[in-house]
Amino acid sequence: MKTYKSYIYFAALVFGLSACNKQLNTAPTNAVPEEIVLRSVANLNTLYEGSWRALMDDFYSDIYGNPGFKTIALVSEAMGDDVALITTKYSYAPVYRFTQMVDKTQSRNNAIWNQLYKIINSTNIIIANVDNVTGDATAKQVLKAQALALRAHLYLTIASFYQFSYLKDPLAKTAPIYTTPTTDTTRGNPKATLKDIYTQVFADLLQAKGLLDGYQRTAKYKINKDVVNGLLARAYLNTGQWLSAAAAADEALKNYPLMPPADYTKGFNDVNNSEWIWGHPEIPSQSDGSYSFNFLDVSSPVSGYYSFMADPFFGELFDNGDIRKTLFSWDNNPGREGNLQYKKFRFRDDETGDLVLMRSAEAYLIKAEGYARENNITEGAAALNALRTARGAITFDPTGATQQQLIDAILVERRKELWGEGFALADIIRNQLPVVRKPYVDGSGNDRKVTITTPDGVTKQVPAKYHTALKFADGTPFVANSPNYLFTIPQTEEQNNPNLFN
Amino acid sequence: MLQKQGLLALILLFSSGLFAQTKLIRGVVLGAENKQPLEGATVVVNKSEHPVVTNSQGRFEVELTQDKALLTISFVGRESYETEVKAGQPDLTILLKASNSTLEEVVAVAYTTVKRSGYPGAVTSISSDKINNRLTPNITNALQGLAPGIQTTSANGQPGNSSTIRIRGVGSINASSAPLFVVDGAPYEGDINALDPADIAAISILKDATAANLYGSRAANGVIIITTKQGKKGDAVINATLNQGWGSRAVKDYDKLGTDQYFELYWEALRNKALSNGQTDAQAAATASSALVSNLGINPYGAAYPEPVGHDGKLVASAKPLWNDDWEKGMHQSAKYTQAQLSFSGGSERSTYYVGGGYTNNDGAFLSSGFKRYNFRSNLTLQAKPWLKVGLNINGASTSQDYPTSSDSKQANVVLFGRTIPGFYPIYQRNADGSYKLDNIGQRQFDYGAYRPNAALPKYNLIGSMPLNRSRNTNENVSTRTYLEAAITKALKIKTSFNLDYTNLNSLYYTNPLLGEDAAIGGTVQKNSNRFLAYTWNNIATYDLDIASAHHINLLAGHEYYYLNSSGLSGNRQNFALPYLYEPVAASQLMDFTGTSDNYTKLSFFGQGQYNYLGKYFFTASVRRDGSSRFSPDSRWGTFWSTGASWRISEEEFLKPVNWLSALTIKTSYGASGNDNLSTTNGGYYAYLPLYSIENNLGNGGVVPSRLPTPGLKWETNLNFNTGVDFGFLKNRIYGSFNYYRRTSKDLLYSKPLAGSTGFTAISANIGELRNTGVELELNVVPVSNNDWRWLVGINVAHNKNEITSLPQKEIISGTKKLMVGTSVYDFFLRQWAGVDAATGNPMWYRTTADGKKETTSTYSQGTQYYTGSALPDVTGGITSSLTYKQVELSFVFAYSLGGKVLDADYISLLTGAVNPGRNWSPELLSHWTPDHTNTNVPRFTTDDLGFTSTSSRFLYDATYARLKQLSLGYNIPEKLLGRIGFKSAKVYGLAENLLTFYGHKGMDPEQAVDGTTYYQYPQMKTISVGVQIGL
Repeated sequence: MKTYKSYIYFAALVFGLSACNKQLNTAPTNAVPEEIVLRSVANLNTLYEGSWRALMDDFYSDIYGNPGFKTIALVSEAMGDDVALITTKYSYAPVYRFTQMVDKTQSRNNAIWNQLYKIINSTNIIIANVDNVTGDATAKQVLKAQALALRAHLYLTIASFYQFSYLKDPLAKTAPIYTTPTTDTTRGNPKATLKDIYTQVFADLLQAKGLLDGYQRTAKYKINKDVVNGLLARAYLNTGQWLSAAAAADEALKNYPLMPPADYTKGFNDVNNSEWIWGHPEIPSQSDGSYSFNFLDVSSPVSGYYSFMADPFFGELFDNGDIRKTLFSWDNNPGREGNLQYKKFRFRDDETGDLVLMRSAEAYLIKAEGYARENNITEGAAALNALRTARGAITFDPTGATQQQLIDAILVERRKELWGEGFALADIIRNQLPVVRKPYVDGSGNDRKVTITTPDGVTKQVPAKYHTALKFADGTPFVANSPNYLFTIPQTEEQNNPNLFN
Repeated sequence: MLQKQGLLALILLFSSGLFAQTKLIRGVVLGAENKQPLEGATVVVNKSEHPVVTNSQGRFEVELTQDKALLTISFVGRESYETEVKAGQPDLTILLKASNSTLEEVVAVAYTTVKRSGYPGAVTSISSDKINNRLTPNITNALQGLAPGIQTTSANGQPGNSSTIRIRGVGSINASSAPLFVVDGAPYEGDINALDPADIAAISILKDATAANLYGSRAANGVIIITTKQGKKGDAVINATLNQGWGSRAVKDYDKLGTDQYFELYWEALRNKALSNGQTDAQAAATASSALVSNLGINPYGAAYPEPVGHDGKLVASAKPLWNDDWEKGMHQSAKYTQAQLSFSGGSERSTYYVGGGYTNNDGAFLSSGFKRYNFRSNLTLQAKPWLKVGLNINGASTSQDYPTSSDSKQANVVLFGRTIPGFYPIYQRNADGSYKLDNIGQRQFDYGAYRPNAALPKYNLIGSMPLNRSRNTNENVSTRTYLEAAITKALKIKTSFNLDYTNLNSLYYTNPLLGEDAAIGGTVQKNSNRFLAYTWNNIATYDLDIASAHHINLLAGHEYYYLNSSGLSGNRQNFALPYLYEPVAASQLMDFTGTSDNYTKLSFFGQGQYNYLGKYFFTASVRRDGSSRFSPDSRWGTFWSTGASWRISEEEFLKPVNWLSALTIKTSYGASGNDNLSTTNGGYYAYLPLYSIENNLGNGGVVPSRLPTPGLKWETNLNFNTGVDFGFLKNRIYGSFNYYRRTSKDLLYSKPLAGSTGFTAISANIGELRNTGVELELNVVPVSNNDWRWLVGINVAHNKNEITSLPQKEIISGTKKLMVGTSVYDFFLRQWAGVDAATGNPMWYRTTADGKKETTSTYSQGTQYYTGSALPDVTGGITSSLTYKQVELSFVFAYSLGGKVLDADYISLLTGAVNPGRNWSPELLSHWTPDHTNTNVPRFTTDDLGFTSTSSRFLYDATYARLKQLSLGYNIPEKLLGRIGFKSAKVYGLAENLLTFYGHKGMDPEQAVDGTTYYQYPQMKTISVGVQIGL
């Protein structure tokens, strides 16, 4: 009897065990294996969408101070002339003081570096596989073009911040180039020169431009030919190919009329603005990038940090009648009194804001600068004045103007028009200029006073707030081409890339 | 009463004369020191196999087959007693003395139990009296100091939180180093908080290969086996316990500057900054005096003093702060601790039961924090047939934890908040004259301080908003252990058991739409629900054979299948139109909704043999084969094994004459166990696959590459060598054990770092080797033991050395640590503080130049990183003592940790000084550099950021500490008093948890994360209570 029972028991056991063995095969629900992604153009397109999300709407290294790709714009602005950062606020004070980006051990350097290259690898996967997957030929062509253009955009960003101006030394080693997908045996590529990087950028952009003929995009975050032209214009400008820059800029701006003045005061949060060539829409459920408004938005009550205040000297650059001038006011809130607010960026009511990446205003300025640098004062002034007129500013009088005067006017206009959009440091590096920050004091060195009316209705005089970092942290003055302006390759890259310095 | 020195027990003989000539022997077994009946003592006649067990009154009766017989009476934790009895003898009263030694006790090891004496494995057991009555609902917090080689730290002391436990060092770098918990024979996957410490009968800690490796791939970091209470044959025993206590934080927070000193110091910083901007002395003083109030956003001295600090830098005479609000105090609450338990246990010939229930309410020291638990347990056994035994243990618990943010630098952190805001910012809105601004119904209004500078957390007032917000985790746990055991023959038993742990975790985070941080967006709500279902099915056959008393063989073979399913969903919404509604349905804006699920399975086959000859020579060997779903089908199976031997030298004839030696065993073991426990961030369940994680974009499906493939990824292997000696001297008045071990973890499941430019920061690989070498001493002394007095002192000491012995590359920097061959996993690698430059007052760090010269620099980013000490302690351990005098018991547990360092980032936040005006400052800043005071460790004072507070060795502090974990004083009310009210036993007592802490760096709770970093965490609680325990 007992023996019989143990047989049953044994049989049940064997049955049970064999059933268990199959259970050892499990699969994830929040991730997919590579083979599925590489199956069709529709599947591969999810990699493009995901990469875009990772670029724009992902706190880099999970730190709130790094709200997606706008992080780079915030860093660039905080290191420029015109943002008088409130240094007691979150995250950007060491950037503003030039002690962070120069330090290879700081996490922000890691965060930016890793994320840019993560997305470069995704574009490489698309480019390497798109011709071999199943699906519609046109769809494949568009996907490939967008991946190429996105890759170029990322390398162009790297070339703009990790090395001095191309015009200073095109052979300066900058950062590695990868054009094929990383595998488990990839060890890391050596630093390439600026020249190599721009060669890659131009090759990618020109190929993308050809592939995008006839493509009608469905949303403004997608890359079409206009975006490619805009990126080309930037790359030509960086490398001193002035007429090509002007021509590409002219192509890019065609379909994007400058906005009416009233739109300028709406908070720079709407991707449907007529002059946005490229921008990223934000929604409440996908709004990491909107977090950048917490720094830039200095007037909405919901803004968390409102730390990107304008320098008083910046405010003085604007003419009366300029729609942009109406956006300035002296902060009257307790604890913030005397800061100069420039209310260009404002949250929408739902605490989101679309993210601008390229506007026709910038294209006008590239066009103007391209012609000016070629000493074509007439065309250069015309492009500059097209923008100034739209803003209600006094136009530039080309009569008798020198090339340098025009260039200076254009560079000032770039500061005025593109404030907060990430061009400040890039222009300082590109044009080999020193950072300029001056104390806002009267002749005898005393702080200048401004009049404010507090929310309680009391009118009073308070000292105007201005830059607090007027020199480098070690007390030396700002100079052109200082290594303190550059983004540093992080220590982890140095440690783990055996070929970096080869 | 007859007392004879040196006897193990005393017998009192009473003559009743009624039972002459009968062969029935009756008696009662009592504890020698308190004369309390001992329930469950075994009485064996002529060393036969079938013991009789005493009932709840300690009574027994046995029938003799002959006129004379030898009785052996034994009880766990007491010394056995043998006596010869004759038929017809009057009733016996047997007093069993408490055993000095625990060397003889029976302990739980993997899938079975063994007698400690002679067992080759390294096992530490903790008896129920050390853990049953502790003022913490979480058993992991009660283990500290009780066993050698167990490093237990509770970095976050919020009620309901667990401690981190490391057995014999940190065994892995990227995979988990946490031990396996086994409850009543099966791996436990439930919430550790669901276990009421009062239900626990014993805990065994398995530390070496022989003891633990039968758990194979889960044994690498040691095993903690928890056995719960079972009923015993006899009348029902009812036990009731009630505790009422009061808690507060165990150590005081950091010191802070007062308002007057703060204002003068900040004035100095503003003046110095203005001077460096080129202003004259007079201009600079004027700038400082005028900017002071506007920068801080408030003038606590009132409108009469618009510039409270004069141009001389001194407070204007007669200026007095109109208020000084204590935010720290405001963030605390009076914390109560209430604990109640009721249990019923007993049994008959064929069944036993233990049914218990408990209630615990543990308020936290900080606002809106606390833990509540309702739990019940029912442990039943049934001898269904003579050859078939059935058992069912069910544990159910419902817990609720109010869990405000209590780590991280977030504004909402309840620990950090009160520490951050200085007293010159009012908690309630005030008029300029210091009087309260009242609302229309005359109530004070909380001041959310939008005017405060960023460092003083504008728009936040947790004292006002916390009571309106919610952050609550509610968990339901059901845990069952059920088995069927069949005795096929006398020697062969087969047991099948099915064990299920079910946990449902729900959390609700709500911020209100009326006041505080999220009022502008109408409040937020997030709700998460996670379900964990784990079951383990195992089948075990054991064969136990005694051959002529000389050879003893015990064989075990088994199979186990383990399955874990986790499934969760979470969503959040914001913008409540109406107040006092807490659920997502009432919020108008959907933000996010998501959910995932996953499975983890394991299949195992294992066997073990134990053999001893004459009870002197012991050998064990085990082998286990595990397959894990975490690896690819080609490499998912691993084999783990162990072997051990021991020799009870004291049983040898040649040592018998040595009177002072009571026990001596030498033992050694070696084996290989595994670890597949990669955390979610380090590859989780699918580290071998090339994966793309889901990242949808604006309504379009999206993915991003998340990991590179490692097809051959396999088990991390842990090779564990142990050798030791168990000893007892002077009739076990001194006893203990000493062990030496060497744990080598190889083929580490490593996240091998990649250059970020490849698009990945790491790839999983089996690389690297880590070694933990150490010694452990457990020493117990019984200095006094007689009828009235009994005093037991235990000391345990452990030293562990953690060393990396192989790495895939020369060095890997990870956060504040650097890994290299020869260093430990937690060696700080920081810029080295070089003091303050006496000439300039600037901070300095060391740097090594290209030609190898070490010099100083005042530019932080140019400083070189150096090794600056380890976070791991040199020595850990505890001291326990229990003293009994008649009915009075006094005992304590004292835990200590010597050596190691902590990087105190919490303190850094109080040293940022004028860079962060508006935040509380440490008085240490008063000693800052001035041209007249150059010998200091604090640089010149200015609003510029000199980099002083950047992470450096300046902020490393010695982590040495000792803590009185538990102190208990109890009084057993004598039986004669109890008899009248019908109680069998009653005890009143006072308890204290974490009563005293001895440490060096004031302000910081010395218990921090194992890696030696602080994170603004909830400090440990000190709790004092009184209680009563009643037996019926």
